[in-house]
Amino acid sequence: MRLHASTMRAQAIGHAQTKPRDRPATRMGLAIAGMFGLLPRAMLRRVPAAAWICALVACLNAACWSITTPPFQAPDEPDHFAYVKQLAETGELPSSGSEQVSREELDVLRGVHAFGVRQQPQEHTIASESEQRELLNALAQASVDATRGSPAAGLAASEPPVYYALEAVPYILARGANELARLQLMRLASALFAGLTALFVFLFVRETLPASRWAWTVAGLSVAFAPLLGLMSGSVNPDSMLFAVSAASFYVLARAFRRGLTTRTAAALGALTAIGLLSKLNFVGLAPGLLLGLVVLSVRAARGAGRSAYRLIALGGCVALSPAALYIASNALSGKPTLGIVSSALHLTHGSLFSQASYIWQLYLPRLPGMVDDFPGLFTTRQLWFNGYVGLYGWLDTPFPAWVDNLALIPAAAIALLCGRSLVQRRSALRARAAELVVYAAMALGLMLLIGADSFHAFPETDAEYAQVRYLLPLLPLLGAIFALAARGAGRRWGPAAGTLIVILFVAHDIFSQLQVLARYYG
Amino acid sequence: MRSVKVALVAGLASLAAALVLTLSASPMRVASTNRVPGTETPIASTRAGATYCQAHEVLPGGSSAIRVWLDAAAGPRVEVTVSSGSRVLASGARGSDWIGSSVTIPVKPLARTVVGTTVCVSFHLHDETIIVQGKAAPAAVAAHEGHRALAGRMLIEYLRPGARSWLSQATEVARRLGLGRAAAGTWVALVAFALLVAAVVLASRLLLRELA
Repeated sequence: MRLHASTMRAQAIGHAQTKPRDRPATRMGLAIAGMFGLLPRAMLRRVPAAAWICALVACLNAACWSITTPPFQAPDEPDHFAYVKQLAETGELPSSGSEQVSREELDVLRGVHAFGVRQQPQEHTIASESEQRELLNALAQASVDATRGSPAAGLAASEPPVYYALEAVPYILARGANELARLQLMRLASALFAGLTALFVFLFVRETLPASRWAWTVAGLSVAFAPLLGLMSGSVNPDSMLFAVSAASFYVLARAFRRGLTTRTAAALGALTAIGLLSKLNFVGLAPGLLLGLVVLSVRAARGAGRSAYRLIALGGCVALSPAALYIASNALSGKPTLGIVSSALHLTHGSLFSQASYIWQLYLPRLPGMVDDFPGLFTTRQLWFNGYVGLYGWLDTPFPAWVDNLALIPAAAIALLCGRSLVQRRSALRARAAELVVYAAMALGLMLLIGADSFHAFPETDAEYAQVRYLLPLLPLLGAIFALAARGAGRRWGPAAGTLIVILFVAHDIFSQLQVLARYYG
Repeated sequence: MRSVKVALVAGLASLAAALVLTLSASPMRVASTNRVPGTETPIASTRAGATYCQAHEVLPGGSSAIRVWLDAAAGPRVEVTVSSGSRVLASGARGSDWIGSSVTIPVKPLARTVVGTTVCVSFHLHDETIIVQGKAAPAAVAAHEGHRALAGRMLIEYLRPGARSWLSQATEVARRLGLGRAAAGTWVALVAFALLVAAVVLASRLLLRELA
């Protein structure tokens, strides 16, 4: 392990010393090319085989979830499907947030009884040959009803287009097949993002905990088997891409903190921010933390390289914000609302700043003295977030029995204790990396504030509209690091065994989650 | 490292045992219901806490859960009691993490069937709206909130474990999983099973290679 760490350090030093002084534009081009897989060979060769296996495991698991979850029984899947249909068939973005998707899709939704099953836990999916025949008729009818595109895409209409553009590829490739075949192919494409997420979590932990090679695998595999990652990546939903881009952002940040900021990493951070903002609006929550990271890293770089290092902020910032700037400019020039369909959502704010802050606090943590109780009788930390993580599948209508949530407290407490022990043992190292930790905390806080503020828009009509754990999954790299730290917390002798048990715990969590889904829909 | 091999074998063995234990249990089945699907009618709605009681119920023996048709965007904690006169026969509570048009509350089962029971459903609300689904009935037999009669009787289902285990129904579940697909067939379930097994085997081998 020591040898490996010193090799890594030597590589890092060598990287800094031997890097040719190429022009910034060329280096930025190389970085962006690398991001899109145009220059992967050298980079890919440096990725350990274990990381690839973690990625493969995550893909297989998400593919399994894509089968166990019935068509259109994942959150908002009909809306996301409609968006892809519109983009693939017309080349245009959806223009309406109405739920009136195309007739073709409606025929299929009715054929699989999607509306009767959604949020009706007592109702199962189609279960007889006669219902299957009716579905086949509905699919045939759908091909007769076929219209180009779907201008309405429900909740998805306000989302940026990159994920949907990628999903248009399998949609178009499955031309001639029915809507269900297209949906399955799109789900499998989405499953690839689960692989990328696990890969980048592995690499993130490799950068943050370089001395514990075995712990990287614990993090990668634990995340690969995370049931919510499987559910979301096994369905058509831009969350899957958001998780992967977020994990990549954490990795590049960690790499920059460990090896120093270069033109390449600054451009990569900017590009990831841009891709993230174009994948799903929730990335807005992570962006301030990412930009803070860029600033901190540039200040550090300036100590050695002088003021020229500050150019890296400008480079990263320009790359990051250019798509948003182009979007705003095109809307302004064409006389549309400046932020497009998002503009209407921004006018929904209500209440004082204090009431909003109080609400957001209570959404995650117990109420403090002086705060109005926004969640009477509800321990949000436990009931919304912890129980939500333990299991809430389908359209948030498939939980575990309450005793499972209680039982889950035991391993969760054990992991927390081991992680705490590990942190206490290495507190001096933590102090040395305080700036890096502050940046990760800012990313987490930004995302949590965004979820809280969005939920506050719907409050008090709905208590906690967006209190869904899936919205926190962009923070999976931090969770992976917690698992790795927990395994290390068991000590040098028992650490690998504890890590093995943590992974098995996640395997069990995943299998029982899928059984719960099977019981709910097909039991 | 031997401890990793031991942990892996012990972990996988415990997982297999838990699976066998779970699958040898029986799924819940409806023992009795007054619901005719598709005929649900709102009989009350509230934005405050309430206790609704309904008399003339029959508690089937062995009932381990009671399902009540309440519509909520984010359901509150719900408590249910089944009583006969002043004696509480069964009671239970369900946390606030439910959603949809019905809530299932686990209760401690009673061995025998009891007729003439009263079922009371209680919850506390804060701004949310709950709609009680039921079927229209005269005030004399309708559900009550205090002394006020609702517009009908609440829809209530009593659930108890079925006669057959999950394991004995595996082929039927696999067949249903294969329906509603682009290419229907039981083979769909086999593909899902194979994917999961492949993931677990790969992960186990990786753990042995990297951690042991």
